[in-house]
Amino acid sequence: MPKLTIDDQEIEVPAGTTIIQAAMHAGIDIPHYCYHEDLPIDGNCRMCLVEVEKMPKLPPSCATVVTDGMVVKTRTDKVKEAVRGVLEFLLINHPVDCPVCDQAGECRLQDYYMVYGLHTSEIPLEMKVRKHKAVDLGPMVVLDSERCVLCSRCIRFFDHVTHTGEMQFFGRGDHVEIGTFENRPLDNPYSGNVVDVCPVGALTSRDFRFKCRVWFLLSTDSVCGGCSTGCNVRIDHRDGTIFRLLPRRNVDINKSWMCDEGRLTYHKLTSGERLRLPAARGRDGMQAPMKWSDAISLVDTTLRDIASRHGQNSILGFASPSATNEALFLFKLYLGDRIGTSNFEFRLASEDKDATAEEDQVLRHLDKHPNSIGAAGLGLASDSLGGIDGAIVAASEGRIEAAVIIYLKPLVERPADRDLEAKVAKLVESLEFSVVLTSHKAEWLAKANVVLPVTQWSEEEGTYTNFQGTEQAAGAAISPGGEILPIWQVMARLLKTSGDERVFSSQADIAAVRKTASAES
Amino acid sequence: MNKVLLANVDQPDQTNIDKYRERGGYQGLQKALAMEQTAVIDEVKASGLRGRGGAGFPTGMKWGFVPRNTGKATYLLCNADESEPGTFKDRLLLERDPHMLIEGMAIACYALDCHLSYIYIRGEYEFVAYTVQKALDEAYAAKILGPSLMGKDYPLDIFIHLGQGAYICGEETSLIESLEGYRGYPRLKPPFPAVSGFLASPTVVNNVETLCAVPWIVKNGAAAYSAMGTEKSKGTKLFSISGHVSKPGTYEVELGYPLMDLINNEAGGVTGGKLKAVIPGGSSVPVLTAAECEGVTLDYEALLKAGSMLGSGGVIVFNDTVKMPEVLSVIADFYAHESCGQCTPCREGTGWAAKILRNLVAGKGKVPDIDLLYKIADMMEGKTICPLADADVMPIRSFVTKFRSEFESFCAS
Amino acid sequence: MIQFNEEAMRRYQTIISHYPEKRAAVLPVLTLAQREFGWISPEVADYVGNLMGYPPSDMLSVATFYTMLHKKPAGKYHMEICRNVSCWLMGTYACVDEIKRRLKIEPGGITPDGKFSFALTECLGSCGTAPAMQVGDRYFENLTPQKIGEIIEKLSNE
Repeated sequence: MPKLTIDDQEIEVPAGTTIIQAAMHAGIDIPHYCYHEDLPIDGNCRMCLVEVEKMPKLPPSCATVVTDGMVVKTRTDKVKEAVRGVLEFLLINHPVDCPVCDQAGECRLQDYYMVYGLHTSEIPLEMKVRKHKAVDLGPMVVLDSERCVLCSRCIRFFDHVTHTGEMQFFGRGDHVEIGTFENRPLDNPYSGNVVDVCPVGALTSRDFRFKCRVWFLLSTDSVCGGCSTGCNVRIDHRDGTIFRLLPRRNVDINKSWMCDEGRLTYHKLTSGERLRLPAARGRDGMQAPMKWSDAISLVDTTLRDIASRHGQNSILGFASPSATNEALFLFKLYLGDRIGTSNFEFRLASEDKDATAEEDQVLRHLDKHPNSIGAAGLGLASDSLGGIDGAIVAASEGRIEAAVIIYLKPLVERPADRDLEAKVAKLVESLEFSVVLTSHKAEWLAKANVVLPVTQWSEEEGTYTNFQGTEQAAGAAISPGGEILPIWQVMARLLKTSGDERVFSSQADIAAVRKTASAES
Repeated sequence: MNKVLLANVDQPDQTNIDKYRERGGYQGLQKALAMEQTAVIDEVKASGLRGRGGAGFPTGMKWGFVPRNTGKATYLLCNADESEPGTFKDRLLLERDPHMLIEGMAIACYALDCHLSYIYIRGEYEFVAYTVQKALDEAYAAKILGPSLMGKDYPLDIFIHLGQGAYICGEETSLIESLEGYRGYPRLKPPFPAVSGFLASPTVVNNVETLCAVPWIVKNGAAAYSAMGTEKSKGTKLFSISGHVSKPGTYEVELGYPLMDLINNEAGGVTGGKLKAVIPGGSSVPVLTAAECEGVTLDYEALLKAGSMLGSGGVIVFNDTVKMPEVLSVIADFYAHESCGQCTPCREGTGWAAKILRNLVAGKGKVPDIDLLYKIADMMEGKTICPLADADVMPIRSFVTKFRSEFESFCAS
Repeated sequence: MIQFNEEAMRRYQTIISHYPEKRAAVLPVLTLAQREFGWISPEVADYVGNLMGYPPSDMLSVATFYTMLHKKPAGKYHMEICRNVSCWLMGTYACVDEIKRRLKIEPGGITPDGKFSFALTECLGSCGTAPAMQVGDRYFENLTPQKIGEIIEKLSNE
């Protein structure tokens, strides 16, 4: 393990580490554009130049491997002078678009200028190189090649991550522009990632365009709810509205990437009308709103009654593979321990979709639910029923009288999955007594006996277990307010009403009980 | 002086293989094939031959850097991308004595254990490439190349690869990148081509003139070669001389030959006025004033000491009718046009400097622009992936420093 | 629908046989394509990409790096006159003016009949015989405005 002294700090690093990586470990920021941890090294921006003892010129720290005994300085006058020079060169032809550029506030030209630049431009406007602006590269990406610093991150992304090579350099010298073939729109399910990797406002998100200044946004760490991959994401929001989703780096799962569909899942959250109040069907067959306390009592009482008359297993717990582990744990606790059924299901897919089946070689999986593995792990799959189809048959044959159903619309749609909601509706129809916990209004809900308004992805704190079996925490970014409750809280209330003495008032409470439960099993 | 390179260049049939052999051609190769491969490298090392493309790196040493028995193929690439302004010596060799190059390449390939070699010829020299291809065809027909190397069980193929107009492809890593089928972007070093070059394999890139000297060296011995030239600049070199001289052309002289003798004797003297300035080694080297040319000899060390460089040996002579800022503007336009655009300082700096100079020469510049040129030069120098930026810096600094008053006079008053 | 004819296909096969990896043949193949189709249009880049198995954007990207590969239609005779130091010293721009005068086009332009186009280019390696210009695979050296006239005349009649 070579030892290196960087800015008077002595550290040891694994063989093969570059200076810039070593610096990151030591908590030292070396300015850079073209370097990216998940892309091949290019060494073209020349911002990361450092002083290394015994080297006559300033080497690029991104491309220089640490050797034992190396002495590096990143903040000398010589280095600062060099970096300032590179910045000045980048800025001579860069348009001062800040007032209309979405990158403002998270732009590396702005940020480094404030640290290393603070110089006045010495080039007259007429001399500036002009390039294409506001080029439409499809539904996800807008290109402004005049802002581009030609770091080639976008090119390397399409070459080495998706292996499709859409973006390239065209031309030579200071007239080089990035672009696609004839600037045709990008047709790539991962195109949004180039907006993330672009350190300036050359590639910006069409979805996010002009919607909000980034300094107004709050960020919440979460996990994508689009499929079983479980890409780590960051939800950027303001005053209860989500503005964009960005990937968070996770070396083992999604590196620095996420798919376009995942990025756009937050739009699904606001499509359709929200269910706002608990409601129950009266004797006239019409649903009327009721207070939560009444609804909880009604559910618990009715379920007990049915259980006593038809047997505990006449009750089915139909969970959602999009609900959190905490919600599902309490769901099982209530229906399994308190009501006493051993009939659980969650599988919606027409074929048994393996949560680990890949949809492509990059990131996506076929299972468009984030927590199938979690649901299975909690024992919510029934051998005898074999999924929703079996559940519908059992219900219509009277073997199942009642069910508590959690239904959350998948955030990513596939044509084959379109009839799944209809199946849930069919299940509801086939039951004597149905309780549906869901987020959005739907016509078929009128057939349910009790509907309970609950939170959806991004509104409920909890964990999801991805295709690798890794449990990951998702934060709650926004709150729908009103009478809408997180699923885990609804379950906690049912547990309490049913006489359970444990207190579930927080995620920590649930975690503690889960831990004990798994230790016992 | 022994003519190493231009001995037969005036013979119109020198391109014919039989005539080439009659005049002693392919004897160097024959001798080499009877030696150990590493012995050939030692011979070239001992000769003191240095790269004639511009860098002047000891050729034998470069060959010695190539690791042997790696299991990977080794490649020898001939750099015939001659594009340095003022330089036209390789063209002469390719057009008039292509077999000499082929022989030199064959010897080099044998020494390096290389079996597949390419001549990267600039696309503009397509008509020259026809001649070289014809010579290659003759060599194959004579079984000098092909499955056996002049009868020895050593297959060797040499192919021509034409560039398509990019000065930067004369830089060795850019040449390799271009040969691999990409935009000619120079590569980061390390790794060095000797270890990882063409197709990630050990590669040596040598200039045409360098390789052409090899047959003579092997045939006549390293001692005979190193008997010519100076202590550190051995042998002979071709100098292309152009501009305000009465006999422009390419001349072979021993290294250490006085610059003024080349101008006044071989090139017949300055025309159209008095001598004002000389670029001694292609546009990438600092310019010398007439006064600075006095007593300067044409070798690597002397020119370095005089504040310039031997470079490619492209000598351009200016008389006193010339306005130096205009010359610099032409040169700056060249580098701006040829910058590959890969790294920031060169891409932006060459463009900016060219624009400032165009402005200045059109009478729209101001005196602070002159100091701005120095600043741009400082910001570019030593910070780039390849030396093209430095090649722009040398002329900018030397022209502006040595002819400052002319620059000032162009400025709008 | 553009594609290589039989002869060009044979040349293509010969070219790729010279290299241990197909990618190395890209530049010679693009050169062949320009020979066949006149210039590297997006259509041509698309064809070469499909033929060789590389994205068309990649092929166009490579083509736009090299000065000799045309990004727009060029004349039957594409005159490239050197604007670099020695040629400039010896009178390039007088020749350039003559070209402009006779053909009535600016550098980068093309005559209406598509016969001539011209551009300023960098050092052609003819510094000792300056000014010089290249037309296709021919060099014309020691130029004067008068010689320019003669050359244009000659080429017009070819």
